Amino acid sequence: MQELENTPLIVAAGSLWGEATQAAFLDALGDGSLPPAAFGRWLEQDYRFARGLLSFQAVTAAKTPRPSHKPVLAGLAAVDAELDWFENHLAQRGLSTDAPAHPVCRRYADFLLATAYAQPFEVSLAALFGVEACYLAAWSRLEAEGPYAEFISRWSGEGFASYVRTLHELTRRHPHPAQQNAFEQTLRHERDFWRMTWEG
Amino acid sequence: MLHDVLWERNIDLAGQCLDHPFLRRLGDGTLNPDCFRRYIAQDAFFLESFLRAYAVAGAKCADLRHVKVFHEFMTGALEELKMHAGYVRSLGIDVTQVKPYPATRAYVDFLQAMAWHEPPGITLAAMTPCMRLYAYVGSALAAASPPRNPFQDWIDTYAGEDFHAVAADVESLLDALAHDEPAVHDAYRYAMQCELAFFTAPLEDET
Repeated sequence: MQELENTPLIVAAGSLWGEATQAAFLDALGDGSLPPAAFGRWLEQDYRFARGLLSFQAVTAAKTPRPSHKPVLAGLAAVDAELDWFENHLAQRGLSTDAPAHPVCRRYADFLLATAYAQPFEVSLAALFGVEACYLAAWSRLEAEGPYAEFISRWSGEGFASYVRTLHELTRRHPHPAQQNAFEQTLRHERDFWRMTWEG
Repeated sequence: MLHDVLWERNIDLAGQCLDHPFLRRLGDGTLNPDCFRRYIAQDAFFLESFLRAYAVAGAKCADLRHVKVFHEFMTGALEELKMHAGYVRSLGIDVTQVKPYPATRAYVDFLQAMAWHEPPGITLAAMTPCMRLYAYVGSALAAASPPRNPFQDWIDTYAGEDFHAVAADVESLLDALAHDEPAVHDAYRYAMQCELAFFTAPLEDET
């Protein structure tokens, strides 16, 4: 994690990085005090977000040049599998796959989709790195134990960390002056998303 | 007609916009000039995105006659941008330095996501509120505007026949291209919510 946090995109983002990766929601999830309603809200909204993320990654993958295809396509397939996983968890809890997107969730997905289509692929790669690096850092602050151990280990394990390092390598291989701006915008959306799941 | 149904279903938000402190002050001439300046700067940023959304939606139309109508809408948007250029000069705004508010950014990202990702009918549902609402607001404010209102030019533009004609044309194309489906209703209502937030942002930014 230390290695990741020394990357130029994260260092230049300053305090935004901490704001995007630390949240009252996660603290409560870690210490067992999280209200079930807040967890349900997160699950429904994160699922909605992941559906938008799939479209974003699909468009990004289509624009990525051949030598960098494999990790981007593997990431796309991973989101598809993750949607199945979310659908199972929603069904187990009697929650909806059609919950209306909260405006905060919608803004985040709109930002990614607009970036994927209207910006060069290098900029989308920086946003994708932002999405995944934030999740890795946020969930890695917690011990994978308790009722949410499955969720914590999903986004703090070595497999996911390796994917995030690969995404970072892609942003280095394909630099673009607009990457920092897109990366920081992603962090703002992450910060707002965590707040929304906590505050409703 | 679909456009009537959409407008009627969102008349609550139209009322909230008309009753918004930003528009009430603009209408009675008491709006802080700095606030108006901030609003125009954001609106210039927004209009560029609106123009691009027309272009992308037009490019997707199967029928060349619809492409032509989108081209006419782009001409209208360019005219509106010219009016803004006049304000921008007189108010001393550097358009290249405009930093979009979160509300502006959200609206712009929404329009671009719709235009690129959805069919033209849904994109039009996202774009129509801006036209119909401004025509509605323009007329309402013009009817009650006091003499020597410093914002009379702005009011006259949106109360004027030319703008109303374009708004009606946008609604006609919406009727032709959109279906009465949840995605259309959702895009229309969300755009109205974006409009409301757009009026709030320059009031809140007192920096």
